[in-house]
Amino acid sequence: MESLARCPARYKVLAAALLAACASSCAPPAPPTGQATNQARYFGDTTPPQGQVFTFNNGAEPETTDPGKMSGQPDGRIARMMFEGLTTPDPRTLEPLPGQAYRWDTSADGLTYTFHLRPGLTWSDGAPLTARDFLWSWMRVLQPETAARNSGLFFPIEGAEAYSKGELTDRSKVGLAAPDDSTFVVRLHSPTAYFLFLTQYYTFLPVPQRVIEKYGVRWTRPENVVVNGAFLLDKWRQGDRFEFTRNPRYWDAASVKLERVICFPVEDLNTSTNLYKAGVIDWNPSGNIPAQFIPYMRQFRDFSSGRFQGVYFYSINVTRKPFDNVWVRRALNASVDRDAITRDLMKGSRDPWALFAPSGYPGYVPPDSIHYDPRYARECLAKAGYPGGKGFPKVAILFNTSEDHRRVAEAIQAMWKRELKIDIELSNQEWGSYLQATTQLQYDIARRSWIGDYLDPNTFLSMAITGDGNNRTGWSDPRYDALIRAAAREVDPAKRMATLRDAEALLLSDGPMIPIYHYSTTELVKPYVRGLYPTALDTHPLRHVWIDHDWQRKPVAAGAR
Amino acid sequence: MFTFVVRRVLLFIPTLWVIATLTFFMMRLAPGGPFQSEKDIPKAALEQLQKQYGLDQPLGVQYSRFLGNALRLDFGPSYKFPAREVREIIFDSFPVSLELGAWALLLSILIGVPIGMFAALKQNTAADYGAMGLALAGVSIPNFVLGPVLVLTLSLGVFVFPPALWQGPASRVLPVLTLSTAYIAYIARLTRAGMLDVLHQDYIRTAYAKGLPERVVIFKHALKLGILPVVSYIGPAAARVIMGSIVVESIFAIPGLGRHLVNGAFNRDYTLVMGVVLFYAAFLMVLNLIVDIAYTWLDPRVELA
Repeated sequence: MESLARCPARYKVLAAALLAACASSCAPPAPPTGQATNQARYFGDTTPPQGQVFTFNNGAEPETTDPGKMSGQPDGRIARMMFEGLTTPDPRTLEPLPGQAYRWDTSADGLTYTFHLRPGLTWSDGAPLTARDFLWSWMRVLQPETAARNSGLFFPIEGAEAYSKGELTDRSKVGLAAPDDSTFVVRLHSPTAYFLFLTQYYTFLPVPQRVIEKYGVRWTRPENVVVNGAFLLDKWRQGDRFEFTRNPRYWDAASVKLERVICFPVEDLNTSTNLYKAGVIDWNPSGNIPAQFIPYMRQFRDFSSGRFQGVYFYSINVTRKPFDNVWVRRALNASVDRDAITRDLMKGSRDPWALFAPSGYPGYVPPDSIHYDPRYARECLAKAGYPGGKGFPKVAILFNTSEDHRRVAEAIQAMWKRELKIDIELSNQEWGSYLQATTQLQYDIARRSWIGDYLDPNTFLSMAITGDGNNRTGWSDPRYDALIRAAAREVDPAKRMATLRDAEALLLSDGPMIPIYHYSTTELVKPYVRGLYPTALDTHPLRHVWIDHDWQRKPVAAGAR
Repeated sequence: MFTFVVRRVLLFIPTLWVIATLTFFMMRLAPGGPFQSEKDIPKAALEQLQKQYGLDQPLGVQYSRFLGNALRLDFGPSYKFPAREVREIIFDSFPVSLELGAWALLLSILIGVPIGMFAALKQNTAADYGAMGLALAGVSIPNFVLGPVLVLTLSLGVFVFPPALWQGPASRVLPVLTLSTAYIAYIARLTRAGMLDVLHQDYIRTAYAKGLPERVVIFKHALKLGILPVVSYIGPAAARVIMGSIVVESIFAIPGLGRHLVNGAFNRDYTLVMGVVLFYAAFLMVLNLIVDIAYTWLDPRVELA
């Protein structure tokens, strides 16, 4: 609650201080009227830091800062600052731009990518960085001993899956090669339209072989780590902070304006928002504002929100009765009033969503959404053999303990009671037990969410294939699996997207999942921070960021920082 | 005295063993494991991790290996933070909790004891009721309310102290105040009760009758016994203030040990939980021992044997 209070007194003091500073240093002084009103429209303190120092909250202590082994956003943010992949994301669209590779060729069949590295690339200790570094780093992720959690992203590469499972031991059979120091060749087993996107993902970042072989798991400590990205790790104290400085040996160091970046691992959302308000941090990234404050935040110019590639859904365990019956699943799907949930419960902080894959994939036209239609839902339930809800067994919605999940579950429980006359129980479990129950299919209906790794509907749709570890519904349809596999083999982008669309239509019609809402990014960024844009994956290449000490003279419209 | 200390220290060993064993098996009984996550982990990676951490061994082997390692104070790497040793995590974050707790305890004694004495000497006056009313309020306000209120007023309202984080002396003020308020209040009430008890005893009357000045009677004769309830409270209070500052550590984003215990349990971070639990247990036993020793010094009637 505390972060919501208005604090006009402080702004007055600040405005006075700014005016005084301005009067002594610049003539003519800026018009005072505009300044006072501008100040009032920002949620946080708007005094820029001294020099090019950027401070933000990373949301949690990273589990590891080893790019090959990590999985999770706080970890990824740290890795992307220190390392750069073959490509690097465009700060606005996340399209792959040349990174360590300055150009690449794709074969006509879409199966071979040849990356040409920039001449003269070096690690931060001065050692040359070559194609062999990429080869070693990628093979490291695939080695079973590394136990990399994201090795699955490499599976479009020829032989990668078999090698990572220990079924293939001949390294040369894996489709990776470094014919010379500046050429890196990747052979895929099927044309993977999103492969270039992957080359900027943190699991694909190069890591320093010599340092890892010398220091083992301690190689990422500030005193040991050697990087190839825009920033060097200067200080780290567990649970306290990371501090980075500019890497002078980065190939594009001249364009990096920030001299120092500091990030804190603050988990409490109120605390994070308070730190932003007080001006301790310049950026409160998405996910760090308490949900109930978001409607209030919308009035401020330093708040921004956009679509985020994630979907909140209910997963149905089709191995249990009565959910093995497709009409039951259709009835449940058609009787969830998603608009009411997002409008009344979430106060507009999320968008209702009745598709499985989220929005914003270039070239993808989704199928028809599930319609909210209680009458149709009742017909479905009658077809399933439970007319008017009669004889419907007692089942439960499982969610991990959280007030937000409970509220959604209560709303859906009431909707199903009202429209279908069925009684559903609520069951909450703490995180570890909840994960166990969902992975082992020990539930009826469970709250889940999924966030994409790359900008392609495949990152969502491929998880529903038979036996995928993220399926967790027991649902299996050979037609669906065939469509997903056909899409992976398709070279023509339009045909491929059409196949994925058919797959999604099938998934929605068969209803093992009940999509509920689309995630949004909701962040607070100081108006003097430039080069930081809302993106669909909520990833932000920080090397483009800089502090504009003169921001009030040329204010930029919100959202176009 | 010496034999008492030796015997108590020897008793630590079976106590710690029981705690270690209970914690070990309770952790394993909890559903789920340390490597599960919302995103599926590849089977090969999972098997590799379990092999690395010895989780593929029978439970009995795991248990005896754990006990052997614990004897050498080596709990191995954390499951959640694989590049960090549990020992390292404890040694990094405990000093922070200790500092926070020590300041809070010091403040509680320095403010609580004088207030309690004052209230006792002015028993049943407006001043007494006022002081005890405040103390009641202090005990009643939970720190997850007090902390945000302090941040709102002293940090966001008028920027006197930073709203969170652990850097520089100014950042200590709000968390220490938040943490100590309840203890100030409780210590004030204990002191008052203890002092009232002593002030009505015959030897105090005798002291007054001897013509001793009130200052001497109170500080030399009454306080020494009147404060005994506070001393016996300080042991558990120190333990609670140092270990139980989880809420305050969370509100103020302080890199202390408390959060590791809670998060460790949620993450099924077996090694981290074992390390922290045993560390806390040992710490609590040492504190209690110190309190018992302090007792003999304050109250000659108590004998340690």
